[in-house]
Amino acid sequence: MAALGARRLLRAGRRWFSETVPAAPSPPASPLYPPVVASVTAKSKAAKSRRLQRFNQRVHAAATVEEKLRLYGKLQRPKYTVYPQTFALNADRWYRSFTKTVLVPGMPPRAAAAKPPVAAAGTTLEAGRAPEPGAEAPGAAQAPEAVKTPEPATGAAPYLDMGELRSVACDALLQESFYQNKKRPFLYRDQDHTPGPFLTQLVSTLAAFLSSRNPLLAASSLDLKPEVNYYWHHGEEVVLHGHRKGRVDPVRFQIDDNPHLQIRVPKQLPEVVPLESDLGDVPVIDHKPSKLPLFKKQYENKVFIGSKVADPCCYGHTQFHLLPDKLKRERFIRERLEDQIEVVYRSNGIASLFAWTAAQAMYQGFWSEADVTRPFVSQAVVTDGKHFAFFCYQLNTLALSAETIKNNPRKNICWGTDSKPLYDVVEDGNVKGFNDEVLLQLVRFLLNRPKEL
Amino acid sequence: LFPGVRQAQWLTKTKLVEGLPPAVQGIVDNPAHGLQELEERAKYAVSHARLWDTAEVAPRREQYCPVLFENLIHICRLMSGKYPSLTKRMLARNCRIAATWERESILLQVRGLSGILMNSMTPIPPVASKEEILATKEHVLETFYPIAPTIDLQEVNVYKELNDTGECFRDGYPYSHPHTLFFLESANVRTDRFRPEQLRAKMLMFAFGNALAKAKALHGNDPKVLEQPVVVQSIGTDGQLFQFMVFQLNTTDLVSNDGIKNLVWIDSDQNLYEKAQCVPEVKKRVVTKPAGISGFQPDTFKKFLALYLHGTV
Repeated sequence: MAALGARRLLRAGRRWFSETVPAAPSPPASPLYPPVVASVTAKSKAAKSRRLQRFNQRVHAAATVEEKLRLYGKLQRPKYTVYPQTFALNADRWYRSFTKTVLVPGMPPRAAAAKPPVAAAGTTLEAGRAPEPGAEAPGAAQAPEAVKTPEPATGAAPYLDMGELRSVACDALLQESFYQNKKRPFLYRDQDHTPGPFLTQLVSTLAAFLSSRNPLLAASSLDLKPEVNYYWHHGEEVVLHGHRKGRVDPVRFQIDDNPHLQIRVPKQLPEVVPLESDLGDVPVIDHKPSKLPLFKKQYENKVFIGSKVADPCCYGHTQFHLLPDKLKRERFIRERLEDQIEVVYRSNGIASLFAWTAAQAMYQGFWSEADVTRPFVSQAVVTDGKHFAFFCYQLNTLALSAETIKNNPRKNICWGTDSKPLYDVVEDGNVKGFNDEVLLQLVRFLLNRPKEL
Repeated sequence: LFPGVRQAQWLTKTKLVEGLPPAVQGIVDNPAHGLQELEERAKYAVSHARLWDTAEVAPRREQYCPVLFENLIHICRLMSGKYPSLTKRMLARNCRIAATWERESILLQVRGLSGILMNSMTPIPPVASKEEILATKEHVLETFYPIAPTIDLQEVNVYKELNDTGECFRDGYPYSHPHTLFFLESANVRTDRFRPEQLRAKMLMFAFGNALAKAKALHGNDPKVLEQPVVVQSIGTDGQLFQFMVFQLNTTDLVSNDGIKNLVWIDSDQNLYEKAQCVPEVKKRVVTKPAGISGFQPDTFKKFLALYLHGTV
């Protein structure tokens, strides 16, 4: 009985064993459990990074650029308002550290083919490579025939008449300051009385005059007193007070700029140097931005180049800034801060151009997680009516937030000159001491165009 | 009260001709000027001013009217690549005009800010032929008996008769000939804006004032018939409706009601576009009106450009 039972058990056991031998590997089934990831709502670092990733995916997946901009600036928190025209001491170092910009003095070297030959009565200016306006000494002992024409293949381009340009500039200046009888300037509004209208007249007539040479200008759009805004994150800090105390937050910045005049074009300006070039160092400042002084405010996060995304002229060409009365040279000299005069021009150039080029890049769909694939170039002229400073900015990277800046070797580059006077004084219907080089640099700026045009 | 242009005609001793003068119409119709290609750019200019210029949803009239004007002028100025003599023009903003004249023993004066003035180095050639000028002798000015023609005018004691070219450009100003006056009715509230009829009357008075001051500067203060008539153009708009006017001053003898009269050609109420929709109108989940500019009339822009080019082409 026991042996019968044992045999039955043995048979049963054998059958049980045979059942467990796998016949063939079963097809791989879908995972039985969902992937184990961090929670979305917990108060933990992993949850925070998961929320950030979800936000990034939402922005990446946005259908239109307007939707992307809307999601990018949806969350409103206190942010530092950066003013391009500021009286803060050494503001340009601070602004360069906020925007990861390298400042290169002088003008960028340009290809020889981009310059038209210039002839002036009596003096001949050499066309071609000219890194700085001061390097071209007029009155060089060159016979007019020896002026190099940079486009010999296309036939000699017509000479740019310096006399004509000079008369255009002088006429604009004389009309605004001498011929037109205006009332006395309003208190502390000297800049609106004469230099403002002069700049508008000068740029509009010069742009019209040069439109035959530069087809990009012929398709351009001129804005008077437009608005340029940009919002970005850079660095990290710990929240000090409030219900969010102790959390690590990105440092937010916003630039709201009002250039006096701006020219927007439908095609992008060519790059000056390749995307990954390294031309210097970015200053590192250990202090908090509020030490500049910079103050925090919470309001709408705007990104705007001067017109909406639907505008075909979505790339920038040149901006013109007018310094207000508060920042005029006499005040700095009176307070014995002569070295800060140039700082004003530089900080205005860097901040305004960074905001403009970055906003242009965002209009094309790039943002800090999706960095630019081509550099964005724009130019600016900062003036107080008499002294002109020229800036050229190349945006190579938008990735300035704390996570994306870690492995980002790219830097933005800004070329800038010192401010030089256009004329000495206007009296009795004559402009004395007119400086041709400043005008020539302005003309070169306006003639800048992509190579294929 | 009643149409202001008729009153202005009496005050300035002017005969009205409907439509633009043949010289300007010739520029409009001439295909050599390439006005067709500019249609696209004009449409972009309108869209920029009305739709894209602001970070808000829709710009207000105070913003879009000047921006539209600037955009159109920018397109016109860029034509100087083709016609180099166009660079001999200069825009003057906020210029003041003051001119006085006598009209049947009533002393009249025009004063005030006359908007934006465009000056040129060369005067516009006379638009009407000599026969037309002589023919105005027979034209009888409308009177409004029993209403006095100076109704609705402000009576002011004038102690100094000012006769400058308004903005008081100093002597030696190279751009001495007034070419075109621009009036922008850009107030947001409708009651602050001039109605089209009043705007035309205002344009006529200011064009007359500028022409008179220029004539007096050229030929002296005596009232007489001008050998070289002075031509001043004028364009007025409220951002959508355009009024075009060409005024020719034939005589400064304004005391009497007979004799040669001045001439004005008016082309009124030209719409540049029908409607500018900033946000698409959606009724019951269906888009009825898409966003954009609808009913764009390129002819209005062509007339604008023709008036700009007049005198150099």
